[in-house]
Order: sequence, then structure tokens, then C-alpha cells
Amino acid sequence: MSLTREIRFTLNGVERRASVPVTMSTLTMLRDVLRLSGTKYGCGEGECGACTILVDGVTANSCIMFAVDCDGRSLTTIEGIAADPASKPLRDALVEHGGVQCGFCTPGMVVQASHVLHKHPHADPETIKRGLEGNLCRCTGYKKIVDAVASVAGTMEAAQ
Amino acid sequence: MTDVQRYEAPTTLEAAAEILKGGDVTILAGGTDLMPQSEAGRIRLKPVLMNIRRVAELRGIEKTDGMVRIGALTTITEILESDLIRDTLPVLAEAADRFASGQIRNMGTIGGNICNASPAGDTLVPLLVLNAEVELAGKPNGHLATRRVALADFLAGPGRTRREAHELLAAVVVPVPPEGFRARFAKFGTRPALDISAVSVAVGGVLHGGVFTDVRAAFGAVAPTPIRGPATEAALEGKRLDDATIEAAAQAAHDEVRPIDDVRASAWYRREMIHSLTRKVLSHVADA
Amino acid sequence: MSTATIAATIAKDSLIGKRIPKMDAPEKASGKTRYIHDINLPGQLHAKILRSARLHARILSIDTSKALALPGVHAVITAADVPEQRPIGVKKDHLSLKGDRVRSYRDEIAAVAAESVEIAEEALKLIEVAYEDLPPLTDPRDARSPGAPVLHDAVPDNVAMTFEYANGDVAEGEAESDVVIEDEFSLHYVTHCCMGVSGIIAEFDPSGNLTLHSNTQVPFLHKREFADLLDIDPGRIRIIQPPIGGGFGSKLDIYPFEPICVFLAKRTGRPVKLVFTREEEFMASPTRQPVILTLRSGVKKDGTLTFRSVRTLHDNGAYTSWGATTPFVMMQTFSSLYRVPHCDYRTEAVYTNNPYAGSFRGYGNLQATFALEQHMDKLADALGIDPLEFRLKNAQEPGEVTPQGMNFKTCGLKECLTTAAESSGYREKRRQHIAERSAPGSVKRGVGIASMLHVGGGAKIYPSDGCGTILKLDDFAHVTLMTGASEIGQGSETVLAQLVCEELGVPLDAVTVVNNDTDITPWDVGVHASRTTFIAGNSAIGAARKARDKILHAAAKVTNLTAEQLDLRRGCIVRAEDGQVLMPLAKLLRSLHFSDKADLVITTHYYEPPSQHQDRQFKGDVSAAYAWATQVVEVEVDTDTGIVRLLKVWAAHDVGRVLNRLGIEGQIEGGIVMGQGYALTEDLMVENGRCRNPNFRDYKLVTAPEIPEMDIRFIETMDGEGPQGAKGVGEAPAICMAAAVANAIENATGVRITSLPFTPERVYRALKEARHD
Repeated sequence: MSLTREIRFTLNGVERRASVPVTMSTLTMLRDVLRLSGTKYGCGEGECGACTILVDGVTANSCIMFAVDCDGRSLTTIEGIAADPASKPLRDALVEHGGVQCGFCTPGMVVQASHVLHKHPHADPETIKRGLEGNLCRCTGYKKIVDAVASVAGTMEAAQ
Repeated sequence: MTDVQRYEAPTTLEAAAEILKGGDVTILAGGTDLMPQSEAGRIRLKPVLMNIRRVAELRGIEKTDGMVRIGALTTITEILESDLIRDTLPVLAEAADRFASGQIRNMGTIGGNICNASPAGDTLVPLLVLNAEVELAGKPNGHLATRRVALADFLAGPGRTRREAHELLAAVVVPVPPEGFRARFAKFGTRPALDISAVSVAVGGVLHGGVFTDVRAAFGAVAPTPIRGPATEAALEGKRLDDATIEAAAQAAHDEVRPIDDVRASAWYRREMIHSLTRKVLSHVADA
Repeated sequence: MSTATIAATIAKDSLIGKRIPKMDAPEKASGKTRYIHDINLPGQLHAKILRSARLHARILSIDTSKALALPGVHAVITAADVPEQRPIGVKKDHLSLKGDRVRSYRDEIAAVAAESVEIAEEALKLIEVAYEDLPPLTDPRDARSPGAPVLHDAVPDNVAMTFEYANGDVAEGEAESDVVIEDEFSLHYVTHCCMGVSGIIAEFDPSGNLTLHSNTQVPFLHKREFADLLDIDPGRIRIIQPPIGGGFGSKLDIYPFEPICVFLAKRTGRPVKLVFTREEEFMASPTRQPVILTLRSGVKKDGTLTFRSVRTLHDNGAYTSWGATTPFVMMQTFSSLYRVPHCDYRTEAVYTNNPYAGSFRGYGNLQATFALEQHMDKLADALGIDPLEFRLKNAQEPGEVTPQGMNFKTCGLKECLTTAAESSGYREKRRQHIAERSAPGSVKRGVGIASMLHVGGGAKIYPSDGCGTILKLDDFAHVTLMTGASEIGQGSETVLAQLVCEELGVPLDAVTVVNNDTDITPWDVGVHASRTTFIAGNSAIGAARKARDKILHAAAKVTNLTAEQLDLRRGCIVRAEDGQVLMPLAKLLRSLHFSDKADLVITTHYYEPPSQHQDRQFKGDVSAAYAWATQVVEVEVDTDTGIVRLLKVWAAHDVGRVLNRLGIEGQIEGGIVMGQGYALTEDLMVENGRCRNPNFRDYKLVTAPEIPEMDIRFIETMDGEGPQGAKGVGEAPAICMAAAVANAIENATGVRITSLPFTPERVYRALKEARHD
């Protein structure tokens, strides 16, 4: 039996408590303990970005973050971002530009893209591409995702 | 992986050092290397897992008395976005921009990158060129003491450093480079960042009147640890930084590195790329 | 909708050709979509598979006692526990659980079902296996040498499959040739890398009916296969398809993890869920078929192609999957891309201890086109003819039937060639780059051109290549389209809804598509061969037209007009001539429902494309339509490092007709980038049978900063059989990229590289060797 630890953190704006094994990843905690399935397992090694969440306002790969390290921190997942009306222009743009095919990479893309726009509100396509360099997609070839993000650059406040 | 019996999250350096004295501790900073490596079985977690992220003394970037002190918990993003680093140690910011992805830069720490001691370590190569030292803190005799070790001496082998078990890497300390110092970094790859370097190069020195002095050259992924290149430095020291010197230095670099074959590249190709990358970095230094 | 809120007249409009977002996209962008990984059934157990620690060995013993004793473990099975298991795969040479012998590192030896993934993984470590090593066979070239290890006792020469095709007389063709060239091409291992890893959930109900939650692309074929495998009535198997995290052909065959999960579900009486790790996905999923290919081509001095003679050696791996059948597609390219009177083609697929290949977007055509289009450039150069002119001279025209029997009723090859060449400025750039080769500077640019031919109206390889549709309208004019065609992320459900809306005049949001439950949807052979838009499209149109007929005839009765004088627009019944609104459609439907005749509008249609089965010589019009594309690429080669950057791709695709402009662009952009990966960055490094880079760190997918600029143009040849004139496009864009890149590298450097991938070290080496020659 592995050692567990009780942690407290804010998740999508709500104070939460969880008891987690000390070696559990944040991704596993989100999916299996907290039952939020929007954040995806893509590789477990921080190489694909499907597990991207916001931690204290910056993006991170939840698969390579220890769950116990969430103690005292503020997490935002795709569920939180999608519930925030401020993210609607970005999500709508992804839909309208055709930036979603199988959709598996999409939650990670939405979280990362909204962070990129938060840091670079007028991001040009090159900045957007660099910003998404850690998010893999196998279906779209990225072009429509970048077009979608570029279309909202300069027009919105990113959901944080 | 699940042999951890105790989890600690100290808030002071003193408390962290006290825990380390007890032995058998795995240190958790950003976790971006620790989690995947222990999941994959490459690292076995020790009975005590110590999260140092709450130790305030490990944060911050400051300049005092001609030294830039970068706290071990400084993230790669913080280095990339620091005005102080950009103004004083731009080659380190350049390497930070070539590091992994945005998500990893936000969580990965410089202390973690140094202690991970990868032969390809992207921040280690420019730090060697900057004559960096690591500051280690511990309680060898009951009270908190620090010592400094040159980075080149601190790196012992792939994944190994000369940190004693009771010590914590508290900061990396870099002397403010001399007037006229220029340094550049380049990493071989087809992508702006997300590659693990097949090879990387940094070269720096004082360029004055076209003559290059106080030369430092460092290479990554061509030895068990990132290394300085004495022969390359000798080929540059005191010379005019012209095409002939650059070519000679690139050749010296090619000859002095000892790379291996692995899944990323063959030894032969690594040498060829060291040659080509050294030439490129030197041209950038000359043009700057 | 009350009459008061409708416009007085409605003009005819259409969704065809417009940019229509995917219907499931908003849900996906909110993270609400539940993929197979997100599904958890009450009481489920988690399964993990123990794979072989040896490359080729006899299994002496398997001791599962310690694993069984671990708390939380419900079952541990080996081959001994499932003596009833039957072999799977194309040649039925593949047992899901290996009992006496392992033939690759993928081989499944045991499986555990436990309360959690962690416990299952812990249990695997406690299983003890004793092996006796057997001599390895890892080079397909050695498979037929005397004394080579025999991998399957029933196949002493290690030849798993052969194909032989010929038309005309190659010897005669060679005799007529003024130039003959021959080269060996080598195509490597790559893998699908779907972002969602493989998974399955199996559950038996108390009566012994089986429900599978599976991402299969061929649910109805799967039903049949599982029935045979388990010796149960296929009618007692239900397959539910959750949204898929990518397919690309990876889910066209049964793979061992699926029956294994079913065995565990049967044994434990609980639902069992099995999901791969990413490392397992790399190591155990089928790859693209690696090929060693020798192509001999001839041409007359006037530029007429004379013959192609092809020999290929396919590394079949340890067991046979779809990769072995890629010659079926490859021979179509060699016999019929550009006009060639004489062609022969021979393949041997040989067993080795390497990973086996499956089907992968393009299905052998990337490999064939890589060789063929390089030879087109070489032949043109040998004759001193412009490569574009050379291709145009030999390009087919509509109405031609190839010697293999493929009837090109529509054929946009010439338009594709000229469009791509003109939009890119190919000719001038090519000449310019040749001149610049000798200029100073280590960075060289080059352009390359390549075309492709692929089936665009299905491929009649099964007894039926058809698809069934059930269509119903409710009392409120909401349409439910139940189609056998699966959605694998490519947007088929949206296109099918568009086609239905075109016939019934309802808005897109009035349509629900059901496509993911074999208990509900009619039969479809599956998602492959770029067939879904064409065949499922025609099936949906057929059902929609029947509904339209019924509605308009009922409306005629109450409007004193004939059915021909009526039309359906925006949920209304209108007078066709001027769009005068007569009544809401919903009202007509309700009156039909609640009248004394009491009828609902429910229609069905099964569409079988008018293609042929090929005869035993592989001749015949195997598809109802064919698709073409030409791509021109511009690359930048840094000769100091070997790094090749893909700057821009100009693509011209004959798609028959654009149905959903957004969707088709997305398919092409994605296919181009997949082709870019195949050519430049992806390399599954298999050494001594072991995959050395089973992770994204060292298996390089193309990332966002690396994509080229893309200029995509459509040639609409309006296929007579295709739905609204459309043909299939799913595989096309990936197919000619590697060939175009090879030709572009040659243009830039003068060096032709005939083996993939064009990773920096390999390109650097090739350039260096060429300089020394």
C-alpha cells in the first residue's frame, strides 16, 4: 500500500480536498480521483501536451506533475476553461475554422492556446506555433488550429 | 516506485537540510524529470520524498557584488522572461528559449536541470561558458553551511553529480561577464525547441577590436556530461575572430569531442555537427 | 414553427461546397467528449498484458501462481487457460495468447484482470516465464536463405504471402525502350501515433451476450470475427463505438489485446477494460508496411512510357496482418498511374521476428508512389524532357480504361498537374534551383512534383462494398440518420448530414447522426479505402430521396400540386417554381402521422457501388471512382547539417466535388503533414526486432512550428456516380508527399536518395557520399 497524503487546492475556482498516494501524478488524480475526464493521457512523459492544465496561472503537463505538489495551488482544467464565457471566442473559433477532427488533442490545445493568448494577446502565427510546440496533433496538420487562435488574437481576454 | 514511506514539504532551507541529514531522500523540485523517470523505472524513489518547492530561499534572481545568483527553484520560463538575465546573461536566456516546450519551461527548474545532469542539458552548456558555480547547502556539522563548486566539477557523469547526500543545490551563481563579453548558444535540431539535443554548442568571450579573449567553449551531448573544450578555446584565445580562426576552432572542436552512437545520432554525425554548429555559433558571435 | 414566423418565399440554397463545422466539434472543444479511455463501467476490472522478453524462443513454462495470489487480482490467463482460442488475422496464423513459442517482442504471453491498473501491473511482474532461445531472423533478405530459422512450422520457406500481376509483355516493353533505368528503394517503419491510445472494454451480460466498446473501424466485420473466435452466434455480439482518438487505418484488423480482453471478461464475469500505455502503443500497434522495392522502368525517346517491372520484398513480421496485402493497392499504382502499356509486379512477404505491419492511410501507395515518381523524374532527365511535360504526355484522360481494368470515368490528372505546377511556378523554380546548385552558400532550395492515383469510390474486396442507412423523421421534422459508416474524426457524419439536408431541405441542426452501435445501425463494410463519403453518402442520399418522395407525394395531395411542382426548403414545403411557402414540413409530417392512414416517414437504403471484384489476375474495375492529386513541394536543404525544411506545398486534388470545404481542407492539410512526417521526421527504429524509440521524445511527429505553408486547390470533375459528384479523399494527401520531397531534394542538391526517411543524418551522409563519388 502506498503512502497517501491529504492535500487542499483550488480546482476550477472551487476549494477541494483529496487524499492521494504521494507518487500519483496530477493527471491520474484529475481523471481517476476527481473524475474529470477532459484532461487526456497521451504519453505520460510530458511530450505531447494532451494533459495540459493551468497551475497557478501557467500551463503544465499534468502527467509529469506530482499530485501532492498541487497542495496549496490553484488548478484549472479544460472543464474550468470551458465553463468560463471568456473562452467561448477561442472555442468557437476552433470549431468554425475546422481545427477539431478527432478532438483528442483539443482540450490540451484549448488550455495551451488560451494561455498563449493571455501572455501574447496579439500573437502572430509564428508566436502561436511556438506556443503550441508542445502540443501534438495527428489529424489536422495544425494549420486550422493556428488560424483559429490567430483569429481571436487581439480580440479577447483569455480565460484564466 | 511505491516504496516511499515519508513525504516532507519543508518551508525553510534549514528544515530541508535537517531532513537530508537523515538520509535516503529523493528531492522533488519541478518534477518534470523525476515523475517520468521514476514511472519508467529509471529512478527508484527513496524512502523519503522531499518536496522543496516551498523553500523560499531557493527562489529569486538577483545581482549583488558582481555575481548573478539564480535560486535553484527558478523555472526555465522565469529565466527566459527575466530582464536581469536577458541583460546580463543573454546566452542563458537563449538556451532557455530552446528548452522543451512552454509547459515544461513553466515547471522545470534550473536546479532540477543541473541535478538531472543530462549529457545534453540545455542550460548546462551556457552555464559552463559563463563559469557558473553551484551553491550547495547542508548541515554537515549541525549548522547550516554552504559551499560553492564550479559547475564543471559538479557534473560527474550521466545523471550524476557531486552533491553529497546531505546537501541541497540552493542556487547557481554566475559572475557578471566582463565588458565586451559576447556568447551564443545553438542546439542541433529540426525544431525550435522540443528536441533533446543531438549536440549543442555555446561559445563566449570578450570581443574587442576583432580579437577574441577570455574564451570559453562548451559542448553538450558529446561526452558523459556537458564539457568545456580546451582545444577549441586554445584555437580561439587571443586570435582575430575571422573565417580562418573560426574554421580552425570548428576543426578543433570536431577533434576534441568524444561522442557516442545512440538512438539520436551516430558518433560520426555528432562530430560533423559539432564542426558545423561551432562554426555557426562563432559566426553569430562575430556578427553580433 | 408557426406559419407566422416563416418567410413568405424561400429561395433555393445549398450546403454543398460550403464551410460546415463538424457537428461534434463544440463538445470536443469543451472537453466533454468521452473517448474509450473515459468510459468506466460499474464493477469493471483493469487488464494488462505480459509481453515476451525474448525475440524468438520456445516457452518452457509460465508460472502465474504468485500473480494470482496478489490481492486484487481476479484472473491471470495464458494460452493454457483458453484452449478454445482460434487464430486471428489475415492468414489466421496468429494466436492471441502464445503458448509454445514467441516470435517477437510484441508477443502476448499472459494477461491479468485486477481491481486497478497498478495492481494489474504489479501482477505482471510476478509472472515467471522460462524461455529457450531460438535463432533470430530479423532481416527479411535472410528469410529465404538456406538454414534460415523457420518461424511457422506450416510455412517452411517463410513466405507468408505472394502477389503476382502482369499486363501486356514487359519483355516487349523493354525491347521498345530507348532508356531503361532500375533502382532499389527502401521504405521504413513508421506508425500511426493516434493521439488516443488503443483500448477496449468487454462485458458479457448474464445471458452470455457480449458487448464490446471498441474503436474498430470495421464493426460489422469485427462482429463476425469475434463470433468465429469465441464460437458464439454473431447476433449475440454488440459493438458500441465511442468517439475515436484517431484511426488512420490502425483499427482495421483484430489484434490480440481484443480477444484477450474478451477472454478475461468471460472468465471473471465482470466488465474488463484494457488500455495501452503510449510505450505499448509504439511497440505493439501495427506499423506501416516496410518495403524493399526494385523498380525497372522504360521509356521511348519521344517520352512515351513503355513498361514498369516491380519486385518487392515485404517484411511480414511474426504474424500476418493487413500490411501483407498492400501489394493489392501498390500494383494499381504501378499499372495505372500514367499510361503504361506493359507492367509486371511480384511481391513476397516473408516472416521475420520483427513487428508486423497493418493498414495505414495510403495502404502501400506511399511506398509505390515514392518509387514511381522518382523514376518519372529520372526518365525525364535522361531524355532531356521537362518533368512536367513528361508527366502530362503520359497522363490519362477521362474515359480511359487501364490495362488493369480500372475505368477512369472521371480523371482530373492533367488538371491536377497543370494546376499544381502553375500555382507553384514549378518549372521556373526548378530551372533556377538547378542553376543555383553551384552558387556559394550551403543552403539550397529545390522543388519536386509528384502525383498519385488512389481508389475514390471504395474498393470491392469483400463480397459487398456497400453501406446501409435508416432514416426517420419525427413529428417535428427532426431527422435521425442511422448509418453503418463509422466516424473516425474525419468528419463523415457532418458530410452525411449535409447530403441529407440537401435532399430534405432541413437545417443541419435538425439532423442527428447515429453511427456507433451495431444493434442500431445497418451494415457497412467499414472505414477504409477512402470510401465513406462516396458509399455512405450515396446510401444516405438514397434513403433521403425515398423520404423526400413520400413527403412530396403526401404534400401533393393536400396542396393540389404535383410532387414535381413541390420542393423542400428550410423545413418548409414550398412551390418549387417561386419558393412560395405552402406549409411547414413538420405540419405535414404530423398530419401524416395522425391521419386515418397513420404513417411515419421511415426509409431505408442499401447502396452497393457499381464496382467489380477483380478476377484472379487482379484485373477489374475495383472501385466506383478514382481520385488523383498532384503535389509540388519546395524544400530548403542545409548541406552543412542535412536538415531539410519543408517550406511550402501546393496541392491540387481531383475530389469530384467539394462537399464540405472545411472538412476536406482539414483532411488534406492533415494528410500533407502526415506525409511530411513520413518523408522527413518519423522513423520507428527497429533493431534486432526491438523498437528502440517507443516514445514521442525520439519518434518525431511533426510539431506546429514545422509545418509548411499550404496552397490547396480542388479540381471538381463531378463524378457521375459520386454523391453530388464527390469522390473519396481521406488517403490521397499523404500519398505523394515523400515522392515530391525526394524529387525536391534532388532538384536542390543533384543527389537522389532512394531510401526513407530523409532525416538529417541520412541526408547529410547521402550528400557527403555523393560528393566523394
